[in-house]
Amino acid sequence: MNRHHAYSKGYPRGGTFSPSPSRFQPRFQPALRRRRQLFQRLFLLGGVTFLFTILIFPSWRAAVLPALSLGLLSSSFEDLQLETVRYYDLSKVQGTEMGWERGERVLMCTPLRDASSHLPMFFSHLRNLTYPHNLIDLAFLVSDSRDDTLGMLSRMLQEIQNDPDPKMSFGEISVIQKDFGQKVQQDVESRHGFEAQASRRKLMAQARNWLLNATLRPTHSWVYWRDADVETAPFTIIEDLMRHNKDVIVPNVWRPLPDWLGGEQPYDLNSWQESETALALAETLDEDAVIVEGYAEYATWRPHLAYLRDPYGDPDMEMELDGIGGVSILAKARVFRAGVHFPAFSFEKHAETEGFGKMAKRMGFSVIGLPHYTIWHLYEPSVDDLRRMEEMELERQAREREEQERAQHKESGPSKAQDAADTVYVYSESDKDSEEGLAAQPAPHAEKGASNGHAKH
Amino acid sequence: MAVARSMRRTSPISLVLAALLAFGFICFLLSPSSPSSAVSSRQRQQDAAEHPLSPPTKPFFKSQQFRSDGVQAAPPVVHYNLNTLTSTSDSLANNERILILTPLSRFFHGYWDNLVKLSYPHELISLGFIVPKTKDGNAAVAALEKAIKQTQNGPIDTRFASISILRQDFEPPLTSQDEQVRHQLGNQKIRRESMSRARNSLVFTTLGPSTEWVLWLDADIVETPPTLIQDLTSHDRPVIVPNCMQRYYDTNEKRWMIRPYDFNSWIDSPTAQQLAESMGPDEILLEGYAELATYRGLMAYLTNGENLDPRRVIPLDGVGGTALMVKAEVHRDGAMFPAFPFYHLVETEGFAKMVKRLGYGVFGLPDYFVYHYNE
Repeated sequence: MNRHHAYSKGYPRGGTFSPSPSRFQPRFQPALRRRRQLFQRLFLLGGVTFLFTILIFPSWRAAVLPALSLGLLSSSFEDLQLETVRYYDLSKVQGTEMGWERGERVLMCTPLRDASSHLPMFFSHLRNLTYPHNLIDLAFLVSDSRDDTLGMLSRMLQEIQNDPDPKMSFGEISVIQKDFGQKVQQDVESRHGFEAQASRRKLMAQARNWLLNATLRPTHSWVYWRDADVETAPFTIIEDLMRHNKDVIVPNVWRPLPDWLGGEQPYDLNSWQESETALALAETLDEDAVIVEGYAEYATWRPHLAYLRDPYGDPDMEMELDGIGGVSILAKARVFRAGVHFPAFSFEKHAETEGFGKMAKRMGFSVIGLPHYTIWHLYEPSVDDLRRMEEMELERQAREREEQERAQHKESGPSKAQDAADTVYVYSESDKDSEEGLAAQPAPHAEKGASNGHAKH
Repeated sequence: MAVARSMRRTSPISLVLAALLAFGFICFLLSPSSPSSAVSSRQRQQDAAEHPLSPPTKPFFKSQQFRSDGVQAAPPVVHYNLNTLTSTSDSLANNERILILTPLSRFFHGYWDNLVKLSYPHELISLGFIVPKTKDGNAAVAALEKAIKQTQNGPIDTRFASISILRQDFEPPLTSQDEQVRHQLGNQKIRRESMSRARNSLVFTTLGPSTEWVLWLDADIVETPPTLIQDLTSHDRPVIVPNCMQRYYDTNEKRWMIRPYDFNSWIDSPTAQQLAESMGPDEILLEGYAELATYRGLMAYLTNGENLDPRRVIPLDGVGGTALMVKAEVHRDGAMFPAFPFYHLVETEGFAKMVKRLGYGVFGLPDYFVYHYNE
């Protein structure tokens, strides 16, 4: 009733749109109007008191305000514009053989130490990857570096994320810094020395775990481990490995060599099948011992993935493995979610990637190697090789000098006989010393070269 | 009269709207005046991630950036320096971040209320849940989401930094949560192996780069001291476990009593070691079953009777997971819950063994209690 009055009052008396406004006018009673004013005053007073109480007791605010404002206000005055709740369904990220078509996310992990010289090569590989870049999350661990690995990495990542081609940029990028106090030197010689292996492998395992645990998300279907010092690999490597739809899969890893060392060589000897001999050996070792493959100290007679390579073999051929190397591993994320990791302790007498293979097997996952699908590791000459190369360089220079001298002798005839006798003498002596027939060079050099050659083979 | 007349001309609706506007304006002016929530808001926003592709322990901004050509900006390059992470006895002063992890199959309001009551700053606490994809699981998630909505839209200081809910990708072996069936010896191995996988899935996907402590808290722990986090971290141990008790009504004595509940925290015994040696590689040793008398020293029975000393620490060999405080670096080094017999142990007990193999110590607080729900 009241309400009706209120509306009708808004119209001018006898207005065009009002049929007969005068009809309502007499019914309006002054008593009612007075009472309404009283209500208004009471309401106003109540409101002021309420605001006042809120001012005095701040703790009430939170309880009372959202209810009063019907939930409309709360979003505007207490919202920090933050999303705090995330929901993930792990059954949707199992990993299938056609991941790139189903939008499956891949976490690509790369541990780095003093690696600035490898970064340009690594980034060219990254740019060339054919797997959709927005589905790849990159994770780097920079540890104990004495060069500018971190600065260089940041610059190159920034560049790739800001690339004008929107298809070039990757997904989440995490650069993890963590130093483990690496005592072991990283140069090739000490890195591969037998004594250093066990503790070095445990530290490497620790580093890999830190990287993975900090960057693995519930959205990942796959994890791809890739070292920065891979020189040649197919652009389609992620898809190629994924197509096999295995829990853990590794390609064969070789490295190119200079011609005088045979042109090429198996590099990664950590991918192998278990043998009876090795199991028997493991029984005899104490709890903390770590068997490392590829050293004469532990003759395990295991079949190695690397030695089974046939350059003309079927690249899709698979081989069951027990231990694996870490240069390039594609694994389903569910393997890591189940708890398989890189043991930083002796797990069944193995650590790091070999222990990873063992643990994955133990938990019933498939571990597969591709003997005829090969990627190429960078060749870094060892100290021996460098010495040898230096000698070869000297030999070459000596030979050139001698040829020059001989040419000069031919031009100037007189003292020819005397010199020729000398030369013959050198020839005969070096022939006696060296089976390799490194002729036409001073004797001491030949001796050294020969002994070196023996050591190599 | 003139005033009354003008009042009469204005429609009451516009009056109400004006009042509401004024009210809202005043609310807006008043709201940031509480100093502690202003600080925590700022801290929350500073800690937030720019992009949704970010660690689950961080909240992220709802609005996203765009490039000048209109394409959504690529995720940023984010640096995390893990050298600066600490886990010390004074966790509160060092603003150390806690991740509370809970495998959830049933939702208890007592659990959530207890969680909200924790006195550790909530902006330093992230939560993670893993729930099986079953009918019971769906109900638990629905109840959990309701509770979360209430807390995360409530006062800023009580909100948690971030919450992740994971749905398990494998079927739980037993659908029955019935106490009797669940604790039968034959079912234990399968049940605990599945539990291990759930725990591992949870910790290794939510740990992220900034967590400094991980607190495992089972969904049926309904009562703890509000200072639980401060108390457990104050001992500065790699792994530490309080004693898990249960309140029950003693009909003889006519009063509420407490009794030991969790028997997985123990000190090893020669008998148990001999038993383990005689076992096949796939067999496991379980505690609390008459079929396997291990004579291990159970922490549940090592309480000091009447004169309790909550700060008393004892070294342990096996731990239970009902409430378990772990330094994040232990998990980062690879310590996980074996879902296979690891030295004839699985789940939390196998975890303790792996922690020891990694060179860390495992400890217990026999006189510091947390309470399990009584079914």
